[in-house]
Amino acid sequence: MNKEKTNTGKLLEVKDLRVSFFTPAGEVKAVGGISYDLNYGEVMGIVGESGSGKSVEAYSIMGLLQSPGKVIGGSITCDGEDVISKSKEEMSDFRGKKVSMIFQNPMTCLNPVYTIGNQLVEALRAHNKTISKAEAEKKAMEMLELVGINNIEKRMKQYPHEFSGGMRQRVMIAMGLICSPKLLIADEPTTALDVTIQAQILELMKDIQRKTNMGIIFITHNLGVVAEICDKVSVMYAGKIVEQGTVEDIFYRPSHPYTHGLLSSMPRVDAESYERLVPIEGSPVDMLNPPDGCPFAPRCKQCMQVCLNKMPPYVELGGDHRSACWLRVKEQIDNKEEQTNE
Amino acid sequence: MAKYTIKRLLMAIITLLIVASITFALMNSIPGSPWLSEKTPSQATIDALNEKYGLDQPGIVQLGKYLGNLVQGDMGVSLKMQKNRPVTDIIREMFPLSAKIGFFAILWAIIVGIPLGCLAAYHRGKWVDSVLRVICTIGISMPSFVVASLLLSTFAGKNEALRVFPTIFDASLGFRTYVLPCFALGFYPMCYVARQTRSSMLDALGQDYIKTARAKGLKSGPIIFKHALRNALIPVITYLGPQIAFVFCGGFVVETVFSIPGLGRYFIQSIINRDYPLIMGTTIFLAAFIILMNFLVDVLYKVVDPRIQLEKGDN
Amino acid sequence: MADMKNNRIKHNIVCTQPDIENLLELTPEDFASATEEQKESFIQDRESISYWKDAWRRLKSNRVSMVALGVIIFLILFAFVGPSVMPYGYDQFNKGAENLYPWHYSLEDGEKLAEAQGSAEMRLELAFEEAAKEKGSDLTSIEKAKIKAQVNTSGLDEGKLRKELGIHKKLFGYSKSELLRKADGEKIFPHIFGTDKYGRDILVRTMIGTRVSMLVGLFAALLVLIIGAIYGSISGYAGGKVDAVMMRIVELIYSIPEMLVVLLLATALNQPLKDYMNSGVGGLRNFVGVLGPNLISMFVAFALLYWVTMARIIRGQILQLKEQEFVTAAKALGAKNSRIIKRHLLPNCIGQIVVTTCLQIPSAIFLESFLSYLGVGVSAPLTSLGSMASDALGGVQTYSYRLVIPAIILSVLILSFNLFGDGLRDALDPRLKK
Repeated sequence: MNKEKTNTGKLLEVKDLRVSFFTPAGEVKAVGGISYDLNYGEVMGIVGESGSGKSVEAYSIMGLLQSPGKVIGGSITCDGEDVISKSKEEMSDFRGKKVSMIFQNPMTCLNPVYTIGNQLVEALRAHNKTISKAEAEKKAMEMLELVGINNIEKRMKQYPHEFSGGMRQRVMIAMGLICSPKLLIADEPTTALDVTIQAQILELMKDIQRKTNMGIIFITHNLGVVAEICDKVSVMYAGKIVEQGTVEDIFYRPSHPYTHGLLSSMPRVDAESYERLVPIEGSPVDMLNPPDGCPFAPRCKQCMQVCLNKMPPYVELGGDHRSACWLRVKEQIDNKEEQTNE
Repeated sequence: MAKYTIKRLLMAIITLLIVASITFALMNSIPGSPWLSEKTPSQATIDALNEKYGLDQPGIVQLGKYLGNLVQGDMGVSLKMQKNRPVTDIIREMFPLSAKIGFFAILWAIIVGIPLGCLAAYHRGKWVDSVLRVICTIGISMPSFVVASLLLSTFAGKNEALRVFPTIFDASLGFRTYVLPCFALGFYPMCYVARQTRSSMLDALGQDYIKTARAKGLKSGPIIFKHALRNALIPVITYLGPQIAFVFCGGFVVETVFSIPGLGRYFIQSIINRDYPLIMGTTIFLAAFIILMNFLVDVLYKVVDPRIQLEKGDN
Repeated sequence: MADMKNNRIKHNIVCTQPDIENLLELTPEDFASATEEQKESFIQDRESISYWKDAWRRLKSNRVSMVALGVIIFLILFAFVGPSVMPYGYDQFNKGAENLYPWHYSLEDGEKLAEAQGSAEMRLELAFEEAAKEKGSDLTSIEKAKIKAQVNTSGLDEGKLRKELGIHKKLFGYSKSELLRKADGEKIFPHIFGTDKYGRDILVRTMIGTRVSMLVGLFAALLVLIIGAIYGSISGYAGGKVDAVMMRIVELIYSIPEMLVVLLLATALNQPLKDYMNSGVGGLRNFVGVLGPNLISMFVAFALLYWVTMARIIRGQILQLKEQEFVTAAKALGAKNSRIIKRHLLPNCIGQIVVTTCLQIPSAIFLESFLSYLGVGVSAPLTSLGSMASDALGGVQTYSYRLVIPAIILSVLILSFNLFGDGLRDALDPRLKK
C-alpha cells in the first residue's frame, strides 16, 4: 500500500498548552505553554529528559491527566474537535477511537488477570456497541496478525504473563490500533525493551504507519529512535519546547545548546574511536520554583546575562525550524548590524 | 493438580499430628482432673475411672492410642460434659449452629464490606471516603465482645421499644434471633474487608493496566469492576480464608454473650471441666477446618489470578 | 556605534511568542557571558532532608495521626501517672461506697427526698387507718393494695418523686458518709466513674486496666518484633532449602487454631507459674509476681504463635532487597552475611518493621482483652479493661456504665494505636500512601 493522503491539513493543533500539578508543596508547572501542529500522516518526535513534561503533555491530549494535574490554559484541537472542553463521557468515547496511546512498560500495561483476546475485544466493543463477539474476535485476530504475532488462535486465549516483553508491546500496539484511530501517541514504547526488540517494534510501527496513514506522536529520550521514525521533532526542556524542526533541522542544524548537548551525548557509529561522549553537566531545574530566565541557563556553556533574567523568544530559522535561545536572537541582531554597517 | 493436592494433604496430616501433640501436651499439663467436682470422689474411684478411660497410662501411650483411633475417625468419648457420648457426635451436634451463624456473619461482611471498600476507593479523598474510613477504623478497633456487649445492653436495656431482637439465643424464634450474634460476629471482618478492599483497590487503580484501560476508552464502570476489582480481591481473599474458619467455628465471645449453644462456648466449658477428649477433638477439628479453608483459598487464588501456579507451591 | 550603549535598541525579529515586544529591550551587556557563580545562584537547591526528618514532617502534617498520638500520650499519663495521683487503690474496698453510680444527689436533696418519701408513707398509713376505722377491723393485704393504688403513691417511687421535687443528678459519685464528711469540711475525692459492688473505685480500676492493656500491647509487640525479625531475615536471606523449611514451619503455625491454643496455654501455664511464684526461688519470681501468671502465659502465646506475620513480611522484604544491586555490591566487596543483614537489609525495611510493630500493639491489646473477657486473662485483684467489661456483664441492665466505660476506653486505645500506625505507615513509606 502506498502512502495515500486522503486527508491533508492539520490533525492535531496544540496552542499554548499549560499544565500544572497542584501539590501540597506548591504549583508545579509541568508544561509551561507549548504549541505545535501535526498533519495527517505525520510522525512527530517529542524528545526530552525525564521530567521535561513530555508525557504530561501527551496525557493531556488523551484526557488522562490525574489529579492533582490540571490543564490550566491553551487549547488542543484534534481532528477538528476541541479536546479540552469535552465532558468525561465524551472523552471516554474519544479515547481509543480517535486517539490511542501505547505506554512505556508493556510488562505492566496489560491486565494480568484477563486473556489477551478478552482485552483486545473489549477495546473494540467499547466503541462499537453493535459488533458481535465473534466479529470482534475475528477483528482482534486480524490485528494480532498485523502486528506479527504467530499462532493467533492459541495466543488469544493466553494471559499476559505468557508473553515476552516485545510480544506484549505488539499486543499493546494491536490494541491501540484496533479502532483505527487517527492519532497514535507512543509514550516511550521501546524504552523498556532490549535493543533488537526495539528495532523490530520500530520497524513494525513504521510499517503500520505507512499502511494506515495515521499520525503518530512519538515520545522518547532516545534521539536514535527519532531519526529512525520521525518526520519532525520537538525538543522539550523543563516544560517548554526549546527547539522545533524537521529531523534534518534538528540533526544537522541544531540551534539550541540543549539540542547540541543531547546530540553530543549520543553515541554515534561514525564517530572517531577516541571521541568521548559529552554529558550535559548539571541537573534540571526545580519545577516548583522555576527561574525567570531560560531554564537551561545554569547548564548552558554559552550562558549570558540576559539568559538569567528573561525567557528567550522563539526565533524562526527558516521552514518549520524555530528555537528559543538568546544566542539566536543575538545572532540576528549582529547580522542586522552587519547589514546596516555595510 | 493431583500432585499438588497430595502434597497439600501430606502437609495437612503432618500439621494435624503436630497440633494434636501440642494440644495433648498442653492439656495434660493443666492441673486438675475431670473427676473433680463438688463432691470429691475417693482415691479408689478416681483410680478406677482413670483406668477405665486409660488416663493411668503414660502420656505417650495415651497419645499413640488417641492418634490410632483418630485415623479411624474415633475421637473418643466425653469424660464429663456429656458423659460417654462420642466426641464426634457432640461436634456434629454443635458445629452446625456455629457454622450457620458464622456463615451469615461472614456473608454480610463480604456483601457489605467489598462494595463499601470500592465506594471509598472510587471517592477517594471525598467525604464518603472519610466517613467510611472513620466507621471502618472504629470497627476494627472494637473487640467483638465490646460490640456484642454494647448490643446486649442496648437491646436488653430498660427501653422496651428497643427489645426487637432477642439477646438470649432461642432457635425457635427463627431469623430474629440470629440478627444480633451475626451482626456482632461479622462487624469486625466487615470493616476489615472494607479497609482492605479500599487500599488494594487504590493500589490496583494506580497500576499501568488501568491507564491502558482508560486509554482504550472504557467507562469507569468496567474499569472499576472489571479491571481493578478482580486484582484488588487477591489480598482480600488472603485475609478471608483463616477468618472464615475462625468465624465458622464460633466466635467464643459472641456465643458466650448471647448464650448460643455452639462449639466455641462448649470448648471453653470443656477446658474448664478438663474434658480432655473434647478439648482434643475440638482443637483438631478446628485445625482441620482451617487447613481446608487455606487450601480453598489457594485454589480460589488460582481462579482469580491466572499467574499463580499451584504446582510450584511457592509464591 | 558609541551611542548604542545609551540607546535601548529594538529589533525586528520574527517571533512566535505573543508578549515578545516588551522583552526585546536589550543592551549589549545582556549578551555578556554569565559567570559560574551567577549560574549557580540561579537555582536555589532545595535542602535535602534525611529520611527520618522527612517522615516526621509527613507525620506532623497528618492531623488525624497527631490527634491519635495526643490521645495515646494522654492515655499513657492516665494509666501510669493517674493511679499514683488518686487517693484510692485499685484493689481498695471502700466500705459504705458500694455500687455507686458516677453521679450523686446532694445531702439536702437527699433529705428532701426522705421527707417527701416519709410524707407519702404517712399519707398511706393515714389512708390505711381511715379505711380500718370505717371497716372497723384490720385490713387484709388485698384491701391495702387497693388503697395503695387509689392514694397518690408517686412519693414511693424515687424516680418520680425526684422529678416532682426537681432534684437533679450531680456529677461524680459520693457515698452518703462521704457526703457527710465533705459537709464537715473534709476534702473528699469523688468516685468519678462510680464504684463496683465491692466499693472499688472504677476510675482507678480503669487506669490500672489501661496500664495492663498497654503493657501487654508493648511487650507482645516487642516479642513479636524480635522473634519475627530474626526468623524472617534469616529465612529470607538464606533462601533455598533453609527458607523452604522455615516457611513450612510458618505455614504450620498458621494452621494452628491460635485462639484455642492460647486458651489452652493460658490455662496450662497458670498453675506452674503460680507454684514458681510461691516457691521462693529464682530471680524472675518478682517479675512473675508483678505480672501474674496469666499475663506471662499470654506473652508466651505471643512469642510462640504471633510472630509469623512479622516473619513473613520481613522475609518478603528481604527477598526483594536481596536482589538489588547494592547488596550485590556489598557482597562483591566481601561483606559478611551478618553485616549485610545488619547494615544493608534491615535498615532498608525498617519502615515496614516499625509500622508492623506499631500495628501489632492494638492486636495484642485485642487478644488480651479477649482472654480477660473470657476469664483467662489477668488474675484478680489485678484488672484489665477486658475483665472489667466481663465483670460488668452480669448487672448490665442496672449498671450499664460499668460496661460502657471500659469498653469505650479500650476501643479508643486500640483506635488511636490503629490510626497512629496508619499515619506512621503513610509517613515512613510514601510509596504505600494512598
